[in-house]
Amino acid sequence: MEENNEMTYTQAVTELEQLVQKMQDPQCSIDNLSAYTKRCKELLDICRKKLTAADEQLKQVLATIQQS
Amino acid sequence: MNQPNLFNQPNGITLSEFNSRIERTLNGDTQLFNQWVIAETSDLRLNRSGHCYTELIEKDARGETVAKMGAAIWAGNYSKLYNKFLKATGQVLATGMKVLVNVSVSYHRLYGMKVVINDIDPSYTMGDMERQRQEILNRLKAEGIIDMNKQLPFPQVPQRIAIISAEGAAGYGDFMNQLLGNPYGLQFYTCLFNAVMQGAQTVPTVLAALDRINAHQELFDCVVIIRGGGATSELNSFDNYDLAANVAQFPLPVIVGIGHERDVTVLDYVAGKRVKTPTAAAEWLILQGTNALAHLNELQDAVVTAVRDTVSQAREHLAYFTSMIPATARRIIDTNRIRLDNNAKNIPVAANGLIANQRTRLNHAVERIGDVIAVAMQRERQRLQALEDKATLLSPDNTLKRGYALVRKGDKCVTAADQVHSGDQITVQFAVGTTDATVN
Repeated sequence: MEENNEMTYTQAVTELEQLVQKMQDPQCSIDNLSAYTKRCKELLDICRKKLTAADEQLKQVLATIQQS
Repeated sequence: MNQPNLFNQPNGITLSEFNSRIERTLNGDTQLFNQWVIAETSDLRLNRSGHCYTELIEKDARGETVAKMGAAIWAGNYSKLYNKFLKATGQVLATGMKVLVNVSVSYHRLYGMKVVINDIDPSYTMGDMERQRQEILNRLKAEGIIDMNKQLPFPQVPQRIAIISAEGAAGYGDFMNQLLGNPYGLQFYTCLFNAVMQGAQTVPTVLAALDRINAHQELFDCVVIIRGGGATSELNSFDNYDLAANVAQFPLPVIVGIGHERDVTVLDYVAGKRVKTPTAAAEWLILQGTNALAHLNELQDAVVTAVRDTVSQAREHLAYFTSMIPATARRIIDTNRIRLDNNAKNIPVAANGLIANQRTRLNHAVERIGDVIAVAMQRERQRLQALEDKATLLSPDNTLKRGYALVRKGDKCVTAADQVHSGDQITVQFAVGTTDATVN
């Protein structure tokens, strides 16, 4: 499993999709449910953060390039 | 120099009177009516009433526009000419076509001068602009690079945008307002690479901007080339082989929004994504983000549903098994009861069978006993018959019949002469009758 803060959006959403698919499998054991759900929540938070939370460091870098 | 006389009538005429003179002059020249003219269409468009407006232009050998005239095809005539042109050329009448048109001048004192197109000769070939564009496209195709940028995958959510535009241009402002003001809280990171977006400086400045982006390509998800719309003749600079070849082979996907829908440049053919306007480019980027947010919501719902389904399925399983216990027990009891009943029913049948069987064996034995007795009786009868025959043969009667006589003295048979003495009384028995006698 990737370190959460190093994951890209694509990696996080891909892992999330795979996990949801596992959970939708009729063979999914009820014993795994809690751990899966917890991980899904983490991944959803990572993805939403990537889309909506500002990366100030990146903004700074781009501002420097634009001014050059 | 004449001083204006403030108290008398001014020395001029009104503009409308002046314009009326122009109108009369133009209308009086028959050469300005029903004249066939060679020109190129530019910025051709239809308005809501179905009237078609275009700029007729003429260029010199170096490609500079040397003459320009607004033209209109009224709605009543347009559909006829449109179909005539389409039928003959296989193409829709559009911007950038070299045309041979029959025109009449039209002057209005308020709206100025234009020409009205009465007819079109579709046998006249496509315009230079379109032919040149086609040549560039053919070359890009032949070199196998025309679809290269289109084949680059866009990241799921392009957020880091390198923009090529003119700083301060309305198109760039529209794009930034739209993108950064998106109401969904989506984050975009933009970096402007300034370029001149019209005229002779377009190609070198856009190419320079692409080079600078290329040097920082790991920082970006895609490139956006934008400028506000304008007359098609001003878009000519984008119909350039070097620019198209560079965009086609650029390592990041390129979004082009440099004109309106009716203006299609070579750049539009090679870009990974083509939109009509800068605003549309921003809308497309925002759409990728909102799609991603919607997808995340779907996934979240899917997680909730999956948990609920799995739990309720487990509960159903449990309930099923619970409900199955009495039914299963009842079934086992019923099955055994039926077997018991069947066995009970079978007892008399089996017993009757056994009894009948034994009775038959008994009857057979009885029959055999009779036979054996009959045989034994027969045998005994024959033996008796044989004894009887023998007895008959040996009986004294038969001997007497043959002439012998039986002599008795008292109760005893006399079988020897010395058994009797003179004077003894004896009895002689014959076959028939007896005689007493006295021994001498």
